[in-house]
Amino acid sequence: MSVLAVQGIEKRYGGVSALAGCSFEIPGPGIYGLIGPNGAGKTTLFDVIAGNTPPDRGRVAIDGADVTGLAPHRLASLGVARSFQECRVFPEFSCLENLLFSGRRQGAGQAEARRLLELVRLESYAEQPAAALSFGQRRLLEIVGTFMQQPRLLLLDEPAAGVNPALLETLSQFLLAMFRERPSVLLVIEHNMEFVMALAGEIVVMHQGAVLERGTPQAIQASERVIEAYLG
Amino acid sequence: MAAALLEQVINGAMTGSVYVLVALGMVLIYGVMHVLNFAHGVLFMLGGYLCHFFLTRLTGNYALAVLLTMAALAVVGAMLERGVFRPLQGNLRNQVIASLGLILALENLAVALWGPNALQIKVPATERLVALGELRFPLQHLLIIGVTAAVVAAMFVFLKWSKVGTALRATSQDRNAARVVGIPVERMDVASFALGTALAALGGALVGPLFLVFPQMGDAPMVKGLAGILLGGMGSVPGAVVGGLIIGIAESVSTLFLPTDYRDSVAFAIMVLILLARPRGLFGVRARGEP
Amino acid sequence: MKRLVALAALVAALYAVPALATPYLLHVMVLSCLYAIPAVGLNLMLGYTGLVSLGHIAFAGIGAYVAAWLMVDARLGFWSALAIAVAASGLAGALIGAICLRFRSHFFMIVTLAFGLMLYSVMNNWDDVTRGAAGFPGIPRAPGFTTLESFYRLALSGALLAFAIQWRVVRSDFGRILLALRQDERLALAKGVNAALCKTAVFALGSALAGLGGVLLVSFLRVAAPASFTLAESINAVLVVIVGGAGSLAGPALGALLFVALPEYLRVAAEWRLVAFGVLLVLITLFAPRGLAGLIAEGWRRVARRSQ
Repeated sequence: MSVLAVQGIEKRYGGVSALAGCSFEIPGPGIYGLIGPNGAGKTTLFDVIAGNTPPDRGRVAIDGADVTGLAPHRLASLGVARSFQECRVFPEFSCLENLLFSGRRQGAGQAEARRLLELVRLESYAEQPAAALSFGQRRLLEIVGTFMQQPRLLLLDEPAAGVNPALLETLSQFLLAMFRERPSVLLVIEHNMEFVMALAGEIVVMHQGAVLERGTPQAIQASERVIEAYLG
Repeated sequence: MAAALLEQVINGAMTGSVYVLVALGMVLIYGVMHVLNFAHGVLFMLGGYLCHFFLTRLTGNYALAVLLTMAALAVVGAMLERGVFRPLQGNLRNQVIASLGLILALENLAVALWGPNALQIKVPATERLVALGELRFPLQHLLIIGVTAAVVAAMFVFLKWSKVGTALRATSQDRNAARVVGIPVERMDVASFALGTALAALGGALVGPLFLVFPQMGDAPMVKGLAGILLGGMGSVPGAVVGGLIIGIAESVSTLFLPTDYRDSVAFAIMVLILLARPRGLFGVRARGEP
Repeated sequence: MKRLVALAALVAALYAVPALATPYLLHVMVLSCLYAIPAVGLNLMLGYTGLVSLGHIAFAGIGAYVAAWLMVDARLGFWSALAIAVAASGLAGALIGAICLRFRSHFFMIVTLAFGLMLYSVMNNWDDVTRGAAGFPGIPRAPGFTTLESFYRLALSGALLAFAIQWRVVRSDFGRILLALRQDERLALAKGVNAALCKTAVFALGSALAGLGGVLLVSFLRVAAPASFTLAESINAVLVVIVGGAGSLAGPALGALLFVALPEYLRVAAEWRLVAFGVLLVLITLFAPRGLAGLIAEGWRRVARRSQ
């Protein structure tokens, strides 16, 4: 029984087909990169899995249980967490409050929150409102927040976008450290190839609303079909 | 029976025309600035008062007084946009709350300055009667319908074919794109507010002679105008016209079979029904974030 | 600890007011309490959760008329009528709220406005049940609280209860959820918050508090009239919350006091008072979005900093 099974997902917005028969399975814990040219349907897929929008057709299953079309808060209680392309944090809450709120269902306490803040070098901002952080720092906070939810399935939507190279290194290390502590399924949409190829154990390539190919980073980088999809 | 119905339809077309003027102003401001100006009713009311003032103090000519009123309130509208709504750009909640503050301030200012009692705008057109078959209507009724029709036609021409009108339409469709092609978006905001206010003022000045001028005179028209743009579709100018007329006529016709007390409720009921059944209204386009 | 003592002293002083005050001042204080109670409900909805309801006072009207009918027509005792009326307002809030909450921003405001107007229309026109525009007369004061002094203590108790409820809610997990919903609903959903349920719950609670205020108001005035529950009154409620400080615990008290007490004290004509409040509301949204409570808190901070 796979952790995540996506079968035949179709989604149209008006006249545009965002997802056209997207299917894949993730058997067990691992860091998976989800790449593909713009318009491939990656964020839409996240929206479907995380319950932000129902698919027109198809099925999403987590640990074998059908979760298609469930509301986002139900999926959150089933162990699904996500970050957003535009980076969302609670601007008026302090960093600490942000993390405590994220982890409240798991009863995560201050000690855990502070530990994670230290791992991303934000401990000095613990009491500051999230709005006071730079974009890159907010991105880190957002991602730390998702881990506070102790998810089985974590969807990260372009975590590296807009983050400067120094913080990217911190982010990378953090993700690997968290994965080692509690292996789960990390699905990472990325355009930053360097970042995602170094991080992921397997890459899934999407194109025109469906899965084109999957394999190790090396295999994907060498694949002609993938190169053509990006260039064509 | 048919005569009674026709009478109510014409009455409804008259009140509907007033609602159209209010609705047009509101939809213009909403379209360009994405602000629901709840204070539109008090601007309508000030139109009535200023018209009375200009007519009694400055000129005996009604038409001139109306034009002066529109001009004066256009300036007031521009000042409100600059002073109140522009600083609050992007914060919908605060813009609405500020407009509530304006309602309170301006309505009570009218009471403070002119007293709580109604004023009369004496205009010969209210006394002259026009015959349509066996029905008689004050000339003012038909004047209102006529002037509104002319204004609506002028608006269509202005929006479709003039440079400023096209710029207004562009700004309402996509603010950033409008900026990119060089449209002075902030000036469009001022223009839409000034124009919208002038329309509200016209409404107040036209209705004053018929129904007296008093501080609360704008409250119901604001809500009816709002009902009209909801019915027609939030961003739609033709929708505002159709919606306003339907509300007016539905109200008047309802008095034929409902107790007149319930007249106002017709508009409220239509509002609730539209929101429940078809929130985008008759001609509206679904915008981001709307149900 | 110091804060608790200060608070206790304040409460004791408030209860002792009748011993020192003129009937006029007492009357003003009663009205302040009666304005503050629905304001607490609206503060929870608007200040903490970000729901801009423009029909809040209609729910005070529901509580008022239900209580009036129960006490006068059904001959029920005050306390039973109060309990049922408050529950009725809360239930109406849950039902109407569930409908209104399907809409966002502009539309939510318009829907709440429309429902408020419809309810007012019913109060004004359904003569058989509500006695129409003239109002529903003959509403008794609560037994044992018939004098001005004793009614003041009743109203004060009602207000303190409302503030206690507000404090409890704000400090709870639910309170955190409301703040999260106000800041970013989509994010709150992703964090497991059942947004629809929570917003409906706070709408119901706010409406119940409005109902409490409504019952006490008509018991004070001894008549339930539609004029007490107009759109203008709903706008006044928004003003009280915003000027006092939306999203602050003391906001409704500061706003209500300012709205009722200060102008009475200054003896200005009613219209100029409201002009001033309208202007004040605009100024507050432009320059002091956190209202009086925010200004006072800022003042404290400056004083504290200077004394260091």
